Amino acid sequence: MIEQKLNELYQKFKSELGGVKDRAAALNLKALYLGKQGPITEILANMKNLSIEERKIVGPIANGLKEKIQQDVEVSLQKFELDEINLSLSQSQNKIDLSLRDSLLAKVQNHGGAHPIWSIQREIEDVFLSMGFEIIDGPHIEDEYHNFEALNIPADHPARDMQDTFWFETEAKPGGFRHLLRTHTSTIQVRGMKQRRPPFRFIAPGKVFRCERTDASHEMVFHQLEGMLVDKNVSVAHLIYFMKTLLSEIFKRDVEVRLRPGFFPFVEPGFELDIKCLLCKGEGCSVCKQVGWVELLPCGMIHPNVLRAGDIDSREWNGFAFGLGLDRLVMMKYAIDDIRHIHSGDLRFVEQFKSY
Amino acid sequence: MHISMDWIREFVSLPPFEGKDGARKVATRFTMATAEVEEVLMSEEYYDRVVVAQIQQVEKHPAADKLNLVTFQFAPGKTHRVVCGAQNVRPGLKVPYAPLNTNLPNGMVLTPKNIRGVMSEGMLCSGEELNIPSKVDGLLELPDSAPIGQTLGEYLKKKRDVVFVVDNKSLTHRPDLWGHFGMAREFATAFDCPLKNPFSINWENKYHDLIAKQKGTASPITIKVHQDSSCLGYFGISIDHIKVTESPDWLKERLNTVGLRPINSIVDISNYVMCELGMPLHIFDRDSIEGGGVYIEALKNDEEFVTLDEQRRILKAGDTVIRDHKKTLVLAGIMGGLNSGVTANTSRIFIEVANWKAAHVRKTSVRLGLRTDSSQRYEKSLDSLMLKRTLFRTIELVLQLNPDAKIIGSLEYDGPNLSDDKSLIIPTSVSSIVRQLGIDIPEEKVLHILQSLDFKVSKDGSNWKIEIPSYRATKDIECEADIVEEIGRIVGYDNIPPKTPELRIRPVRLSPMQTVHRKIRDYLIFGERCFEILTYPMIGKDLLTRASMNDQTAPKIINALSVDHNLMRPSLIPSLLEAVSLNTRARDEFRLFEIGRIYNLNIDKKKNHFADEKHVLGIAFYQHERTSIMQCQNAVERLLSNLNVPFDIRGPMEKFSCPLMPNNWLGKHPFEHRDIMAMGKPHGTVFSVHPLVLRNFKLKGHLSLALFDLSLFEKELPKDKAKYIPLPKFPGALFDFTVVAPEGSEAQSIVGIIQKQKISILDSVNIIDIFALPDGKRAVTLRLSFLDREKTLTADIIKMAEEKTLEALSSQGFPLRM
Repeated sequence: MIEQKLNELYQKFKSELGGVKDRAAALNLKALYLGKQGPITEILANMKNLSIEERKIVGPIANGLKEKIQQDVEVSLQKFELDEINLSLSQSQNKIDLSLRDSLLAKVQNHGGAHPIWSIQREIEDVFLSMGFEIIDGPHIEDEYHNFEALNIPADHPARDMQDTFWFETEAKPGGFRHLLRTHTSTIQVRGMKQRRPPFRFIAPGKVFRCERTDASHEMVFHQLEGMLVDKNVSVAHLIYFMKTLLSEIFKRDVEVRLRPGFFPFVEPGFELDIKCLLCKGEGCSVCKQVGWVELLPCGMIHPNVLRAGDIDSREWNGFAFGLGLDRLVMMKYAIDDIRHIHSGDLRFVEQFKSY
Repeated sequence: MHISMDWIREFVSLPPFEGKDGARKVATRFTMATAEVEEVLMSEEYYDRVVVAQIQQVEKHPAADKLNLVTFQFAPGKTHRVVCGAQNVRPGLKVPYAPLNTNLPNGMVLTPKNIRGVMSEGMLCSGEELNIPSKVDGLLELPDSAPIGQTLGEYLKKKRDVVFVVDNKSLTHRPDLWGHFGMAREFATAFDCPLKNPFSINWENKYHDLIAKQKGTASPITIKVHQDSSCLGYFGISIDHIKVTESPDWLKERLNTVGLRPINSIVDISNYVMCELGMPLHIFDRDSIEGGGVYIEALKNDEEFVTLDEQRRILKAGDTVIRDHKKTLVLAGIMGGLNSGVTANTSRIFIEVANWKAAHVRKTSVRLGLRTDSSQRYEKSLDSLMLKRTLFRTIELVLQLNPDAKIIGSLEYDGPNLSDDKSLIIPTSVSSIVRQLGIDIPEEKVLHILQSLDFKVSKDGSNWKIEIPSYRATKDIECEADIVEEIGRIVGYDNIPPKTPELRIRPVRLSPMQTVHRKIRDYLIFGERCFEILTYPMIGKDLLTRASMNDQTAPKIINALSVDHNLMRPSLIPSLLEAVSLNTRARDEFRLFEIGRIYNLNIDKKKNHFADEKHVLGIAFYQHERTSIMQCQNAVERLLSNLNVPFDIRGPMEKFSCPLMPNNWLGKHPFEHRDIMAMGKPHGTVFSVHPLVLRNFKLKGHLSLALFDLSLFEKELPKDKAKYIPLPKFPGALFDFTVVAPEGSEAQSIVGIIQKQKISILDSVNIIDIFALPDGKRAVTLRLSFLDREKTLTADIIKMAEEKTLEALSSQGFPLRM
């Protein structure tokens, strides 16, 4: 009986609270129900007429009801306060157009960005660092010895034709070497070998130069990344492992690679590494010239003559070397149509690779 | 190089191709084993579609002077009309017509075309369009005997050959693959089919005997090879009763297939043998050799020589030539002379089969810009032991086409003794090969591959000695690694599963320079919102001049592609100016930077190097409306403190001028200019560019640049010198006041005066506000913070400190503003 009455009482309170319009009314309602003359107090006062069993049931219910009413009133009060503040905020003169971020403004340069060549170089550097490769560098202005001779490309070797070289006017000293702009980062091989004793592994990213008319796909300055590993009992199988790992890291997916014979005087055996065309997945398209494979990087086991030029005993040590064209990778990754944008200094190009 | 698969099949029985896809599969396998096949050509389709047509009428195109409307017929009773631009169109002429949808060898597929208002369907073809050599410009002129309506394939009796186009670059190291027989050996090995060798010892002996039978007659031409020439061996033989004719179809077809133009039966034989055996040769009209002998020698003096292609060329002293006793006949290894070539009237010939030093041939051919089928082969280092085979094969073909021909005299030779050549023997073992490839290969398989490549193997237990055929030993094969390659490529690198190597762990770090480059990039991009750019390291004199700089120390490239890129930049400033100028067209405000190298000739000749390279950071802040010098300075200050470099940015001093800016350079602003001292030395500069130089770059607005020499970080990184001081336990006190600063004074000097007073409780000095007063004076409001870490400050001590400060300022020209 009493239970039912209490329930009805709470329902009545709820409906009255729903009709309340302001803080004062809510406080009044609370006073009405929980005050000394209020119905709850009355019920609690009448408890003494009940049996012990009944009291045990009714007591907690009545107290619970009292708490519930208090909570409901608190919630209602908070809501009235919130409404008041929101109302005053909404009447303020300083309301902001939240869509008007810097990126909408014409005049502000609101972000910066790394050159895509650097971004990809850094990514590859990190992959190699994680595999224990050092990163080294060398001069752009080189001599014939480091660019050719030491790499098993003697004077008048037809392989010199494959690389159109920029030459400097150097006084011809007997036995001296002419100066040139390095045509590949392989120049680092000898410098790197002479500076350290095996076993070692390093990469060398940097600019290289070719005396070549420029057009959308040819540049006279571009970027390569040379790599070299020298240890004991290194095999072609190891080379394939490293190249596969590297390329999967770069392209963020499993790439299919194939090695085919390629001639580079400083490696033996030498390979051209092709990857299965990422665009057509090997079906044949204009990017891979219908072959299904894209030539990506030359690599091979270091030629014993090159090891010798680096003062390394080729009977005890061997290793592999590879070269990667960074510009090609960037162009593949972003589908860039003209290699000349890379050195243009044009912000309309670089700002497409912005970072906030 | 074009390889005719039909020709290859003469030497090896490859299974027939299954269509074009089958041919492509074979090409791919060959690419994986030997050399890159760039393209597979099948003389297919268009031979069945293109027909012999006869022109009936030629009218001018109503809307184009150079075009004609040509009416022609290829089937009775029906005429067709196309628009044609060829100049040799004339009624009655027979020409090839390619109807719609024909796929021409150049990849073009014919579709209906509207040419200046006239619809044209299909086309009349030139020789070039059909891959048929033609001496006439314009349409290919077919003889009157050509039956109208016959397809080109029927008319030319074209065999269905498949051509593999091999990338010459991938044959750089394989002199033996510049002929079909050498290629056939590769096919035989790669596809494990037996090689048919028609050039056996018996075959050679047959020709020895044949020549020996001529005993009694003296050789009309003798040979003398001089020591100073580049000759490695010279064979010659004379043959009479030659009839120079058009070559038979099979010969012409072969040459056409591999991309050579048939000329006459004798010239064609020499080309055929070259394409078959890879060794070039030369056939003289013997009547043009005066004096009965040829002399192979180095030229003593420069001379003019007219080569077979009718070009006048200047030969230099030292070039090897073949002469008679009066004149030069041939430029050795490269091209014959117009004066001794075979003509239609030739009846007596002299055949030269010789070998030349590769480097020599290459040097002369590069200098003359004359690369021929012959020089291309010689510069790969050919094998002198192949000379005789080449000569005999030539004789064989000459006799085959000229049954009446007669060898005169004996086989002449001069040059190094060829039997002296020792064969190359390389020791190896199967286990060593297997270890280097990283895959298990059975011994029998290794042996089989080597033998199939004509290598001779002698075994001593597990030690093998491999005798390399002479034609592989000229340049290509020299050590064990080369043997490893032979096995690897035939087994197929694809069949080698990747393996992780076991490597020692060792920590790797970026070098100090790389760390700094990364820090700079990150800071400028994220902290200062700059864009990174790259510019060419090569610039031109014009750019330097516009930047008011000279080219004295810039290294000069002697074979540059243009005068805009023939100097290595001695400074980053010109490149930055150019890049900024490019970008002002589209925007009012931007910031960019480049980490690049500058190059300066080493003026101090004692130091034994050519040029110095330095890493330099260049930053450009551009604003159209007002100067960015303060933003630029602040960026530099924040950057340097981020790099932990001890630095000072201060007014320029003559004694410590910044090395990155030329002395007395016009391009800097008269007073918006500060130098950066780092580790006690001038290492950089921040300045605005002078309007005069801005004008040279058509730059409107304001540009501030900062340059910093990064060679500072080559050896080590500056240490992080941050130090923790326990937070104060006692309250401090602030003292705000305003002084009057005279015209031209810098705020920095006020702070400096206060810091010099050595007030022990002074914790910090900062400027709160500055406002302008009349007469160029300024009111500067400062805030001093006093603190004693040991005890609470007393009013007396604070007062003393305040008075000392104000007195010092007032006495040095900064009175308190009341």
